[in-house]
Amino acid sequence: MNGNTSITATVAHLLTPAERQHWKLAWLSTVDHKRIGILYMLTGLVFFVIAGIEALLIRLQLMVPNNTLLAPDTYNWMFTMHGTTMIFLVAMPVLFGIMNYILPLQIGARDMAFPRLNALGVWLVPFGGILLHFSFLAGGPPAVGWFAYTPLSETPYSSQLGVDYWAISLLVLGIGSVSAGINFIVTVLTQRAPGMTLRRLPLFSWMVFMNAFLVILALPLLNASLVMLLIDRLLGGRFFLPFGGGSAIMWQHIFWAFGHPEVYIVAIPAFAILSEVIPVFSRKPIFGHEFVAASTVVIVFLSLLVWAHHMFTVGLGHTIDLFFVAASVLIAVPTGVKLFNWSATMVGGRVRFTTPMLFCVAALLQFLIGGLTGISHAVAPLDWQTKNSYYLVAHFHNIFVGLIVFAILGAIYYWFPKMSGRMMSERLGKWSFWLMTIGFNLTFMIQHVLGLAGMPRRTFTYPDLPGWAWMNMVSTIGAFFMAAGSIVFVWDLVTSLFRGKAAGDNPWNAWTLEWATTSPPPHENFDALPPIHSRRPLWDYANPDRPDPVVPAGGAIDNFRPEKNKAGVMTFIISELGFFGVLILAYLFYNATPQSGPGWQRLDIFKTTIFSVCLFASSFTIWRSEVGLRTNNLGKMKAWLIATIVLGGIFIVGQGLEYWSLYQSGVSVGLDLFATTFFTLTGFHGLHVSFGLLALLVVLGVALVSNPKNGHLPALGAVGYYWHFVDVVWVFVFSIVYLWPLIR
Amino acid sequence: MTTQQFLISEWTWNTAGFVFSGAALTAYLWAFNISRRILYLLAALAVFVLTLVSPLNALAAGYLFSAHMLQHILLLLIVPALLLMSLPRWVSLGSRSWLIANPFIGWIAGVGAMWLWHARPLCNAAVSSQIVNALQICSLILLGTIFWRQILAPREEERMSPAGAVLYLFSACVACSILGILITFSPVSVCPIYAQPPADRLGILNLIQSSWGITPDRDQQIGGLLMWVPMCLIYLSAIIAQLARWFAHPVASTPVTGKPL
Repeated sequence: MNGNTSITATVAHLLTPAERQHWKLAWLSTVDHKRIGILYMLTGLVFFVIAGIEALLIRLQLMVPNNTLLAPDTYNWMFTMHGTTMIFLVAMPVLFGIMNYILPLQIGARDMAFPRLNALGVWLVPFGGILLHFSFLAGGPPAVGWFAYTPLSETPYSSQLGVDYWAISLLVLGIGSVSAGINFIVTVLTQRAPGMTLRRLPLFSWMVFMNAFLVILALPLLNASLVMLLIDRLLGGRFFLPFGGGSAIMWQHIFWAFGHPEVYIVAIPAFAILSEVIPVFSRKPIFGHEFVAASTVVIVFLSLLVWAHHMFTVGLGHTIDLFFVAASVLIAVPTGVKLFNWSATMVGGRVRFTTPMLFCVAALLQFLIGGLTGISHAVAPLDWQTKNSYYLVAHFHNIFVGLIVFAILGAIYYWFPKMSGRMMSERLGKWSFWLMTIGFNLTFMIQHVLGLAGMPRRTFTYPDLPGWAWMNMVSTIGAFFMAAGSIVFVWDLVTSLFRGKAAGDNPWNAWTLEWATTSPPPHENFDALPPIHSRRPLWDYANPDRPDPVVPAGGAIDNFRPEKNKAGVMTFIISELGFFGVLILAYLFYNATPQSGPGWQRLDIFKTTIFSVCLFASSFTIWRSEVGLRTNNLGKMKAWLIATIVLGGIFIVGQGLEYWSLYQSGVSVGLDLFATTFFTLTGFHGLHVSFGLLALLVVLGVALVSNPKNGHLPALGAVGYYWHFVDVVWVFVFSIVYLWPLIR
Repeated sequence: MTTQQFLISEWTWNTAGFVFSGAALTAYLWAFNISRRILYLLAALAVFVLTLVSPLNALAAGYLFSAHMLQHILLLLIVPALLLMSLPRWVSLGSRSWLIANPFIGWIAGVGAMWLWHARPLCNAAVSSQIVNALQICSLILLGTIFWRQILAPREEERMSPAGAVLYLFSACVACSILGILITFSPVSVCPIYAQPPADRLGILNLIQSSWGITPDRDQQIGGLLMWVPMCLIYLSAIIAQLARWFAHPVASTPVTGKPL
């Protein structure tokens, strides 16, 4: 009872007095970015424990040669679930949580641009996580590794439901991540405080902003590949099945086109944390702000370009390998720029090794090691030797744990005082730090050697070869050091929440706006803001006699603030390009040489042309409707809107008729590759049209009920963008599916 | 024939190319004062002439799709960019003309030049017909100039804003990458004329296929990859320049002291 009251009291002090009566509901129904951030992080922590236990089971199995603790299948489940969970349910949610909490505060905003969308994003995480873990009860989890290579992940080789749960769960999480990415971009564009121009964004916010672009560009590629896999598995499609004419390699291309940026999607927030923490505890502004900011853009760009270096061992041929060796090595330049800038920031500074700083410096060093082994993987001949060995395992754990987890721990020690109003314990923090660092290096440094000695990854046990046994033993002991460090960390988190000493507004004497409000911040974040002339407004405020140089704020970009709804839809449209791009490329690839059976000949080009004209005409009618709104002619606006809905409806009915006649003549998704690609591409377009129609109906309903005054109905413009986009996609789909075969 | 013999012997005379270059140089000297910017013009003309007379052209004329692609990139992206950079900063490039000033048109020009000339009939015709080939070269330089004008117009006010320019370049890179990916992985030949060289005029087929190991399949892959990877790196360089321009502009003014909360 006593414990329960104190939990209530602690959780309650983050709430307003009115909410304390029903604090559970206040947390469940929240749309406040700070609570959503905390929910993200707590969800991530729960899954961190689960995936951590899986890691310990893996290490226990590998502790001695010829071990029989885990059966081979169980071992496969463990490493698949460990990888998937750690990436999609730990790293991403925790980082999204930190960004969610800090970004609006740092740019002086009251909340994210779309608070309800934000709540959707956070609740999709436990939903996706539960779906993934439900596979344990439904015949066994996936056993295909986190990248689920086809054809292994196809029905003939993984006939149980595990892969289906895996794919659906990742689809759910992917949709949540895209929604969060859209929200971050629109928040930075539209919610900045006066004076906070784009050039004055602190590095953390700038990198979150850039990273969000990577999220909306890369995640849809995964979503597209997942729906293709699901169509193969559930509807008998043929995308990735070689004996049905499909290409198993295509899965790898699409997966890594997402998978390589994904590494940076979790690494750039870690860079962002380092760029924030290292200057504060060096008591110097970051060295070369512009270089760090610009190198982030370069990383975003290059990371989308180099995925094929994950596939050197596939046998793409020397030509392709050669180009991707060169491009991959280039990424070392912008990341190297960052490392040098962080190091140069520390040089000559008054460095204070508090726990957050210790974690961040360790992250920097581990990232240096992980980065160097990364370059060694970019060199194809070396990659052939080490790809499937523990050398690779050691490399990417240096990035995922050494850089990202350490940066996350640093961030939590750094911002916990802001989130809770209490300091975490420095003594426990140092214990946690040393246990983690020593444990990490014990576990993974030796794995470089194991890998070079030839130990393959993803095998459930190994023979007693010279040296392997003791090295694996060291590795397992290290893992338990890390487990101990994690327990100390969680213990510190819980006890500090109850008994930590009061933090005050700005315990670290930091310079960005999140420290200009109380800890924890009030519901609306700020009562008043200091003037913003540079990237360190609190420094300027505290040192009026020697402020930072003013960052100029001229030009249209610095003060670019688009309308929120339109910016949201535009960002969403950008994210859709990747999704449709993959489906269109798959269609082109599989139909480049005409299939053996009748393909497009079965389509009714004449009728579809008529229905397409209706769809294209609806772009015109919705434009007229917007003109009606602008000229305050509401009758006209509603009439043209209804016309748009009717035209869109005719198109959908037309598509339905086409599907029906195909179905009547025995053409289903699984018939051949033409049918698979045709139904997937046009089906997803039809789905988008249907959603567009729903949105138009909602807008019409709003217009009928509320009679918008002064032409103010931003939703119409926003839905209009979406509707034009759907039409433009159909221009491409129609040309490729219906017209291309005519001229070929 | 050995590689060395090939590199020494296969230079071709291109009257039109030299006349154009000479005319351009004369016009430049006549219109503008000599400044360091003339170096850009000289570089542009050097790249232009080398593209047309060097062994690269011999390879592109029916032997290697990838050589043709390299020519294409040089003429579309490198030569026009250098030409624009050679102009003195006061020259105005028709900011009032809607057709030239519209970024959308510029983007379509730059990306369209890539897509259009790799449609199978046009790609074949550019190899088999001298006239189409000349048309292709002229159109690439012209379209490339329209594309780069948005970024490299001599007058600052005629250029796009840096953020817009980054989006412009990034989306152009994506559009060209998609074509590059299609060409690289296409199971059919994009430009069949290269797949079956009509006649081994120069007697270098054996050199290419045996000594260099470039089979028609691999040739097309190299072509696609050139468009996919190095071409994007050209756009990336321009993006970096735009970021530098954004961070540097306008120059910092004097510090303002803080006011109370």
